[in-house]
Amino acid sequence: MSSPWRVSLVAIGLAALALAGCNREERHSRSKPIGETVPAGTSPDTIWPGGTVAQTADPRARLYDNNAPAIAAGQQLYTQMNCVGCHSHGGGGMGPALMDDQWRYGGRIDQIATTIAEGRPNGMPSWRSKLTEDQIWKLAAYVRSLSGQPSKDAVASRAESMSSTTPQTLTPREPAHTSDTAAQ
Amino acid sequence: MLSGSGDEGLPEPRCHLFHGGVMRRVVDAFLVTLLCTATAALTGCSRSEPRQQLGSATVYGTVPAGDHAVAAPAASPADDGNWVMPGKDYAATRFSALNQVTPANVSKLALSFTFSTATSHGYEAPPLVVNGTMYLITPFPNYLYALDLTKPGAPTKWVFKPKPLAASQGVACCDTVNRGAVYDAGKIFFNTLDGQTIAVDANSGQQVWRTQLGDIQKGETITMAPLVAGGKVLVGNSGGEMGVRGWIAALDEGSGKLAWRAFNTGPDKDVLIGPRFKPFYPMDQGKDLGVRTWPPEAWKIGGGTVWGWLSYDPETKLVYYGVGNPGPWNPDQRPGDNKWTTGVFARDIDTGQAAWFYQTTPHDLFDHDDINEIILADIPWNGQRRPVLFRPARAGFFYVQDRRTGQVLSAAPFGYVNGYKGVDLKSGMIIPNPEKATHAGRVVRDICPASPGMKDWNPSAFSPLTGLVYIPHNNLCMDYGAMQANYISGTPYVGADVKMYAGPGGNRGAFTAWDPIHQKKVWEIPEDLPVWSPALVTAGGVVFYGTMDGWFKAVDARTGKQLWRFKAGSGIIGQPISYRGPDGRQYIAVVAGVGGWAGAIVSAQMDPRDPTGALGFANAMKDLPQKSTAGGILYVFTLAR
Amino acid sequence: MSIQHYQSIFGNAATETRQFNTLFVIFLVVCAIMYLAVIAFLILGLVRRRRSDAANTVEEGRHHDSNPRMQAGLIGWAAVVGTGLVALAIASFVADRSMAVAAAHEKLSITVTANQWWWDVQYNAADNSKMVRTANEIHLPVGVPVHIYLKSNDVIHSFWVPSLAGKQDLIPGRENDITITPRKLGIYRGQCAEFCGAEHAKMALVVDVDSYSDFIKWWRHQLEEAAPPATPLAKAGYAFVTSRNCGACHAIAGTPASGTVGPDLTHLASRRTLAASMPMGEGNLYGWVADPQSIKPGTRMPTIGLEPDQLHAVVAYLETLK
Repeated sequence: MSSPWRVSLVAIGLAALALAGCNREERHSRSKPIGETVPAGTSPDTIWPGGTVAQTADPRARLYDNNAPAIAAGQQLYTQMNCVGCHSHGGGGMGPALMDDQWRYGGRIDQIATTIAEGRPNGMPSWRSKLTEDQIWKLAAYVRSLSGQPSKDAVASRAESMSSTTPQTLTPREPAHTSDTAAQ
Repeated sequence: MLSGSGDEGLPEPRCHLFHGGVMRRVVDAFLVTLLCTATAALTGCSRSEPRQQLGSATVYGTVPAGDHAVAAPAASPADDGNWVMPGKDYAATRFSALNQVTPANVSKLALSFTFSTATSHGYEAPPLVVNGTMYLITPFPNYLYALDLTKPGAPTKWVFKPKPLAASQGVACCDTVNRGAVYDAGKIFFNTLDGQTIAVDANSGQQVWRTQLGDIQKGETITMAPLVAGGKVLVGNSGGEMGVRGWIAALDEGSGKLAWRAFNTGPDKDVLIGPRFKPFYPMDQGKDLGVRTWPPEAWKIGGGTVWGWLSYDPETKLVYYGVGNPGPWNPDQRPGDNKWTTGVFARDIDTGQAAWFYQTTPHDLFDHDDINEIILADIPWNGQRRPVLFRPARAGFFYVQDRRTGQVLSAAPFGYVNGYKGVDLKSGMIIPNPEKATHAGRVVRDICPASPGMKDWNPSAFSPLTGLVYIPHNNLCMDYGAMQANYISGTPYVGADVKMYAGPGGNRGAFTAWDPIHQKKVWEIPEDLPVWSPALVTAGGVVFYGTMDGWFKAVDARTGKQLWRFKAGSGIIGQPISYRGPDGRQYIAVVAGVGGWAGAIVSAQMDPRDPTGALGFANAMKDLPQKSTAGGILYVFTLAR
Repeated sequence: MSIQHYQSIFGNAATETRQFNTLFVIFLVVCAIMYLAVIAFLILGLVRRRRSDAANTVEEGRHHDSNPRMQAGLIGWAAVVGTGLVALAIASFVADRSMAVAAAHEKLSITVTANQWWWDVQYNAADNSKMVRTANEIHLPVGVPVHIYLKSNDVIHSFWVPSLAGKQDLIPGRENDITITPRKLGIYRGQCAEFCGAEHAKMALVVDVDSYSDFIKWWRHQLEEAAPPATPLAKAGYAFVTSRNCGACHAIAGTPASGTVGPDLTHLASRRTLAASMPMGEGNLYGWVADPQSIKPGTRMPTIGLEPDQLHAVVAYLETLK
């Protein structure tokens, strides 16, 4: 192949790579649209009478999942809104561990967002009145990063807290098993 | 100059030998040997003391001869073979006068019957035994069982289910435990996690009254065992990690109506400080110190809860209790002495008016709640009998204080302490170590004792026969990094990342027999895991305690020699008791169910990869899930025929 | 009405800046004289060389005697330079020591914690119950040395009130300090001087230097709790502020709202600026509460999406927080 063609191909390749990072770095400073509600009832269940129901993914999941600014904002909110007081840095305590592979109420980002907004029966408070939907989605994006779900180029490479868990760029990806098998 | 090949003019190689393969290998071998020797020498240097053998006692002295301490007479009546309150008596001796089981025959102790409480959270309560019926109160959901001891196998008579709010599990900092029920005048009194105090008829199991005292919306729960005396039921709240305002309340025993409530922060009229109040030391004297020693508004969310043990002296009608930590854990958000937290109050049981107060750690830096048991004793002092109290405190010192005034007679460390330099007996103040002071934005390392203290809530036992206090406790140090905490009611208000680990010696716990008058160890058993179980001592001369991996042990009260042990199905953090059964024989009972703050990694199924989990305990207890699973089983032993 | 001064490093409104500016002037004068002298000698050298072209040729093998006038001139010049440098060193030392003297006699102590992108100001007091917390505004009594401790909660910021003091960084994990002794009454503007993120430009600070009695009056007022709302609209605003999002981050003394991560709002309406960038006023309050992200995109305060009557109620309540 001749030299000008090679150069062009390399340039196109690099441009494609750069474009791939666009969504990952897109910043949302407010929900779009403003005042939208978080969907209730994104069921963590895996059994439907009469057969499987195709679950439609919430369109906002694409905006916040694997989004680096959202995960970073979620990291700040996680400490400020006292999530760290119950869930530590993923290890749990008063609340269940968030860094393992067991998700009592579902481990998809929209299921986590619903958990945060609605609360859950055994002690998870309902944050709907205290946090905006944008903040809830950002928190959900960060919570997913505690168990290694998002891609490694979107997560924070350094914890802001006292050296504790491995950095999220090194956290092994845990497959999310919905519904905790151990009864509480 | 510039002619010829490129090598001319360059410096000659110094030593041809180093370019050869053999020489290089010889040099490498020499360097490796040097490195290994150095490493070996350095690691050898760190082990300066011979390692104590875990599980077996080291004797440091002998049981003191002659006049020694005895339990306060009015607060410790003769043993009737029952066990009606967690402390055995108002003096909190946890001493059983039954003497059938002795060091000679305890190896013949055998299982009599068992019972599963159907719960799997930390079980911290003692079984109660009243005239042939045994009562068990479980962690959330706080079921109350009554077992009939007169029939073989102790069948269940009834179960009372209080149905506390499930959401209360989300505001309980350190597992959803319950530290015990109390029997008095035909009724069983206990607290539920969601802040209610309930009185149940001891025969029928029917509810007599129920009073809502705490509000989970504010982060309040109740985990403590009430004290019932003088016609009153005394209850305190939990939630020092949730930004609650701590209080102690007295309910009328017959009706459950609130008689008085004293807060532990705020203006004097809320703290029930009046003309009767006479603190011994100048540091505790002044008007409205519960407001003046806090930034504005901070006392309203300042903690100071009452989640531990209460003792009572019927002679003076004073109830003694310790106050929990100030909130948040980040001390820079609450400059000032933070009265009236981390100290001990003496109050009149009828009116709640404070008689005296002693602040153990002003401006607490390490979460050293002061809620440990207060043993009421009389000791020989300059030829007379002096009424005192014994307190093995979280801060690491064993306090002997005059219980009429609060004056500290002596305070000696019962383990390794570097967070404080000592206690100044003249001013009464603890002497802080500025090098270990925690601050926001900074990580302070190697602070001993760690947040659970030299000893946490699990109470010690006192034998009036040996005069020793048997202390089950920890040997933990920590790294503490404070940061700004945000207050949102109903959520944690902490502001600290903590990591705990074993203290000097490598053992995380110890069981110590302590001479309170000479303030020294008599014998000590180091344990691998923190000793989170309470102690029991009998007149027969046997001490009972449990370990977090499930060993229920009997040791000689004089020497600490292990005489018998039994492996229970789960770690033991509950109070062992001894009672006289309907057949006249001595029984020993304990419920095994690991959990609590130390066992949260098991009871809450935490992930051990986060060392800051459970406020730092996860780092110290990473091996616990291999050593114990969760459970809640009662074991009752007696001597085999 | 207080005089608003220009934000200028030559404002000379505090003892420390006066001392520093005096030192600056000394340096300027001495160095200007040196500079002019050097230029003069350079010109002289250029001119003289043209005239006497053969006078200073070095002869081969012979040591040429130095010109005694040149020698004296050079020695004199070295002496002048030496004296000048010593004078500058002494002046610098004296200025530094006199600026440090004030720090030893602090009468007032303030802790300023910088956040992205606002200033958390806390007045320390021996009686802790008299501590005051406010945001983006510092009130100082004239003539009293105040010791300001500087901390940061996130990234490096820099405290800079040009008329009153030089720059001092606020570094996370570290406590810096600066001492200021204001000398002139008035209002001074300050600015964050270390790039700290997207809204670094909108992180201004107001320092209000009052007479001592006015300062004490202001302090006493700051200790008061927020007055309970009187009108129905303000009551509705109070209900929203304490039960919804606002209390999670903000604190208003005397109400259940006790959040610490955002500015204290107890006396918001009596401050001169809003959000560290706009003058306080009803219009700006409406705009900020309705959509902070359009004014300072990326700021930590979220756009809640208030209904119109909620917005009216909240702003009505906030305006009562004088």
